[in-house]
Amino acid sequence: MAQIEIRDLGIDYRKPKSNEVFSAVDGVALSIERGEFVTIVGSSGCGKSTLLMAVAGLVNLSRGSIRIDSKEVIGPGPDRAVVFQEASLLPWRSVRGNVKFGLEMQRWNGGDLNERAMQMIRLVGLGRFSDYHPHQLSGGMRQRVNIARALAVDPEVLLMDEPFGALDAQTREIMGTELLRIWERDKKTALFVTHDIDEAIFLADKIVVMGRNPGHIKEVIKVDLPRPRDEAVLDSEDFNNLRRRLRAHLAEDMSSMQLVQEVA
Amino acid sequence: MRSAEMTAAPAETRQISLSFLRPSRSTVVGLVAVLLFLILWQIAPSMGWVNGRFTSRPTEVFFAALDIFRNDSFLYHARISLTEFVAGFALAIVVSIPLGVLLGTSKIARYLIDPPLMALYIAPTLVLLPILVIWLGIDMAPKIAVVFLGAVFPIVLNTMAGMSEADSRLLRMARSFGASRFDIFTRVLVPGSLPALLTGIRLAVGRAVLGVVVGELFVSQAGIGYQLNLYGQAMRIDRLLVYALIVSAFGYTLTIMVRSVENKIRDWRSK
Ligand SMILES: Nc1ncnc2c1ncn2[C@@H]1O[C@H](COP(=O)(O)OP(=O)(O)OP(=O)(O)O)[C@@H](O)[C@H]1O
Ligand SMILES: [Mg+2]
Repeated sequence: MAQIEIRDLGIDYRKPKSNEVFSAVDGVALSIERGEFVTIVGSSGCGKSTLLMAVAGLVNLSRGSIRIDSKEVIGPGPDRAVVFQEASLLPWRSVRGNVKFGLEMQRWNGGDLNERAMQMIRLVGLGRFSDYHPHQLSGGMRQRVNIARALAVDPEVLLMDEPFGALDAQTREIMGTELLRIWERDKKTALFVTHDIDEAIFLADKIVVMGRNPGHIKEVIKVDLPRPRDEAVLDSEDFNNLRRRLRAHLAEDMSSMQLVQEVA
Repeated sequence: MRSAEMTAAPAETRQISLSFLRPSRSTVVGLVAVLLFLILWQIAPSMGWVNGRFTSRPTEVFFAALDIFRNDSFLYHARISLTEFVAGFALAIVVSIPLGVLLGTSKIARYLIDPPLMALYIAPTLVLLPILVIWLGIDMAPKIAVVFLGAVFPIVLNTMAGMSEADSRLLRMARSFGASRFDIFTRVLVPGSLPALLTGIRLAVGRAVLGVVVGELFVSQAGIGYQLNLYGQAMRIDRLLVYALIVSAFGYTLTIMVRSVENKIRDWRSK
């Protein structure tokens, strides 16, 4: 059986004023094998974050189930760690203090906390910045810290919600390559939300394309590009084909979005 | 990355030592203004522009200060006022921080107590002084109560705001790592609301100083405010001014101290 089994998942939210209930995600079924790198793409508001937060155990499910290693997800757990899109570093803690945070919360007993944290900080290339506070770091460096904090607790599943979304294209590419380098070390299962098509293809074993109203899975695309990958793969024929296919998907979604707006 | 490396601490320390040697334009302008004012104040009575009996002179104030520190049992009165201040303020801190935490973390408590608290904060607590005197007599007790009442509300309200306005993204992040409610409280809420708490304490200092002095002005047998009252009735402007300066210097120093801690803490937040 697959490591992560999502069955008939539905998540409802209340609209702010009217108290009306609507589905942010509905009828989602997905299997993820151990060690797979899965990217999730889709236009804004189609429920990508909601799906990821559900796997993290941070939102309540309205329908269906999520199982990890055949255990039902009922809340956050040490088998998962999340890298959030926005600033989620504690401003009063140094880089090292932030990386230690997850270890402290999980009562880590696999040796010295400082050493473990430093190891992870070096892994993401911030060795010389361990005493800096978040406000002294660039956006890219902050996301490296976020990643180091998640990696430090040695999760079975790494959940990332547009971790490079706020970065410029150049930095984003570098970070993607770095992430793959780190991931190649022990190939833990990864779920990665993005709306950057190239990023989605470059990282993935499998791309989940989502559509909206309500959020659902339109297609799951296998990516068979050889690993380890580097920037050269971006120009390959296979990559181009995938890119075209994804573009068509997202364009379709955009036009249906416009239609909704015009009708409304 | 390179630029972040260069904005490290050394740059700041260099700036501080330089400003020490070469005073900034604003300090120079400030000093000149004060000097001009003192000169004007000194010569104005002799020139017949004002009545010296009402304005005194800088030199007179200076000698009055010397005299007060030597012969006016200054330490005795200062100790009484200081005791009232410290007792009232300590009491306020002991009560207000837990109350602020409770209100900041419990919505129900907030809905219940917030409106009356706001009303009490806005109403000048000094209006209660006559009642407090009736209840507590004319010794230190009513002044301690006034200091307490003045200081307690700003601290409660700011602690409450700091707690309840905690960054929800940080709370979610903590939960994702399996943080317990207690962990979230001690590792996220408390450090996160420290700046707000300090703001509350800074605002409380001013109100507490005011409470001591006005309390003593109103009714007392000793203390700085008592001395102020005494010299006011005797028309000793020079001595009045000395005591007024002492009071404001005290409040100013405390405020600056709290603010510097506050700024240090705020440095960690996003600039
Ligand atoms: N806490 C919430 N309460 C109510 N509605 C919510 C909540 N969180 C998300 N939504 C709604 O659910 C829908 C899906 O949101 P979600 O954040 O999952 O989208 P997304 O695909 O991650 O979008 P983006 O690419 O912009 O991040 C949106 O319509 C959003 O308004
Ligand atoms: Mg999102």
